[in-house]
Amino acid sequence: MPALTHYLVLSALLFCLGLFAVVTRRNGVAILMGIELMLNAANVNLVAFNKFAAPGAMQGQVFALIVITLAACEAAVGLALVLAAYRSLETVYVDEINVMKW
Amino acid sequence: MTWADLSLIAPELALAAAACAALLQDAWATGPALESRSRGPAAAWIALGGVCAALLLLGVRPAGAAQVGFAGMYVRDGITRVVDLAALAAAGLGVMLSPPYLERFRLPAGEYHALLLLSTAGAMLMGASRNLVLLFLGLEMLSFPLYVLAALARRSRRSQEAGLKYLLLGAFATAFFVYGVALVYGASGTADLSRLGRAPDVPLLHAGVAFLVIGLGFEAALVPFHAWAPDVYEGAPMPATAFMSVIAKVGAFAGLLRLFPQALPQLAPAWGQMLAAIAVATMILGNLAALAQSNVKRLLAYSGVAHAGYILIGIASGGPAGSSAVLYYLLVYVAMNLGAFGVLLLLERRGEEADRVEDLAGLLGRAPWAAVVLAACMVSLAGLPPTAGFIAKLYLFRAALQDHRVALALVGALTSVVSVYYYLRVASVALSAGAADAVAVRHSRFAGVGLALAAAGVLWLGIVPGAITALVQQAVQALR
Amino acid sequence: MSGEAIAFYVLAAVTLGSGVVVVTSPNVVHSAVALVPTFLGVTGIYVLLSAEFVAVIQVLIYAGAITVLILFVIMLTEGGTGIRARQRNEQGAIGAAVAAAMAGLLIAVAVRTPWARLPGTLPTYTPGAIGQSFLGPNLLVFEGTSVVLLVSLVGAIVIARKEE
Repeated sequence: MPALTHYLVLSALLFCLGLFAVVTRRNGVAILMGIELMLNAANVNLVAFNKFAAPGAMQGQVFALIVITLAACEAAVGLALVLAAYRSLETVYVDEINVMKW
Repeated sequence: MTWADLSLIAPELALAAAACAALLQDAWATGPALESRSRGPAAAWIALGGVCAALLLLGVRPAGAAQVGFAGMYVRDGITRVVDLAALAAAGLGVMLSPPYLERFRLPAGEYHALLLLSTAGAMLMGASRNLVLLFLGLEMLSFPLYVLAALARRSRRSQEAGLKYLLLGAFATAFFVYGVALVYGASGTADLSRLGRAPDVPLLHAGVAFLVIGLGFEAALVPFHAWAPDVYEGAPMPATAFMSVIAKVGAFAGLLRLFPQALPQLAPAWGQMLAAIAVATMILGNLAALAQSNVKRLLAYSGVAHAGYILIGIASGGPAGSSAVLYYLLVYVAMNLGAFGVLLLLERRGEEADRVEDLAGLLGRAPWAAVVLAACMVSLAGLPPTAGFIAKLYLFRAALQDHRVALALVGALTSVVSVYYYLRVASVALSAGAADAVAVRHSRFAGVGLALAAAGVLWLGIVPGAITALVQQAVQALR
Repeated sequence: MSGEAIAFYVLAAVTLGSGVVVVTSPNVVHSAVALVPTFLGVTGIYVLLSAEFVAVIQVLIYAGAITVLILFVIMLTEGGTGIRARQRNEQGAIGAAVAAAMAGLLIAVAVRTPWARLPGTLPTYTPGAIGQSFLGPNLLVFEGTSVVLLVSLVGAIVIARKEE
């Protein structure tokens, strides 16, 4: 039966995949995808801790639900910004978005 | 939930109600045309009414013992009181200083004011949180409106770029914050800040706290998480820049206060050093980078980085002295930074923002009062007497010395000397003769009152600091 | 090896395997589509962790709404033009090093921390307990989340509507 450590290792790997995407991607949408992976990793942690470390209350699962909701908000605002930036700057590649020095 | 709980969050409720009213008023005035045409100051009056109502609700509540509500999530104590005061001052001044700019550059007034008020409510929630979940929610409520405000000028390419950069880096930092909350929750079995003091001292707790510091440090623009600040400050429309420059600091440092001196005093030996190192790097880098700037917005961005370093001195020193110094500095920073931005908001260079240092030339001849206010705010930002900036820095350095952090106080004092050069350069250009022909000065009674209030705050807190000092010291009494 | 362990390893492999596709694929549409198995793998992990309600919400919001939103934006921007541009910047080596170091650190922390289990057991019917929690101790957070939803609604419309 998988122990808490198994879930934490999975979550750490998922988090670092997201981190890798944020650092190496040029496309704003792909960077947002990386951020979603990082948030998913945090949620796996929260739910795992809720089961293994603090099963008396539902705080971990509740917080995971809030994170999912706010992640959807973030995706909505973020994608709106990508769309608006594409209209006015005609690119979605963040290293080409440099009207100002980055 | 009971009435007692509701009355605790009355100031936040007033802001949320005013935000909804501003949105509805805008929709009603616009009618079926879809594109916002309400150029009048109605939204500004509604927002100002909301801020005044919140201040009133804050004032009528007796400053007694800490009250806890919502099953221990929310606490209204002395720290909440001062943070609320700083956040509401930022909102009030932000509302008063922006109408001429919004009208001139045709920004949607209803949305601008609604987002400003909700962001303020987010900072206030951070200051009142007694639970990591609420702290996270406050952080999101603070930062989402700021992303949108940064991108509000849709005709400006720089504004779109600023909004996108701010969101991408902000969401990245938020992901770290959430992961940090998860790790702290796992290490201690609770997200309740008041019970973290009993958490076992395991590596997981330290990793979690490090991630939380990354999230809050981004919002406060601490080195090395400051990379967004110059570009976002420069690109965002100026009223948004002015407001974000203070509200993000208020929220982030309220969160750090709740985290370090209050919830995790047992980590002070290990984390005091770490925070002190970040503070030193932030002060040095912020001030040196500001020296080279010719754009006032960028200059104030690096100045904001430097000031984040100064405020972090108080967090690193900890204890009542450090915490009260942080609270005092936040109040002062709101007044002086918004005063400086308020003068810039009055200027216009051929239909654009007048954001170069040389655009200020000859301001004394055309708008003497504005020039004097700008000079006073610059003197205060540099930390010279008789202004509030001097007293605020004095408290911070004294807290550092009390905590035997001589190096920290020394670096703070030395970098302040460096900062005198670039602040006074701006002030001397504004007070010099000669005029930048292309620059027009717009007069507005609304903004004039705001500027007068900011300047009065800068001088009042500098010359007779007694009342506010008593307030912030009373606020941190609960800390040992 | 028990059935639960097999399920865990299969789900972890699906999650991480498609996660690697998400972050490395040279085609951004492939990345977006690979998000679906990643999110579904995480959903399975939630079921293993007896968080059925979170699993359902994960399917609805992540695998459903967010992935579709991402695909739409790709189609409305570069993806709709048929241009295949370079997707990675020059920081590949740095990014890999940072990510590997972070992973090593987090795994070391997870392995070396002694686990103290607090008393109590999870309720057998979690949706009810979650509802009680949202309308009880977490009421303020629940209401606050709705305010953030309002902000993102207003924000997305203000930013993305067409200029007249």
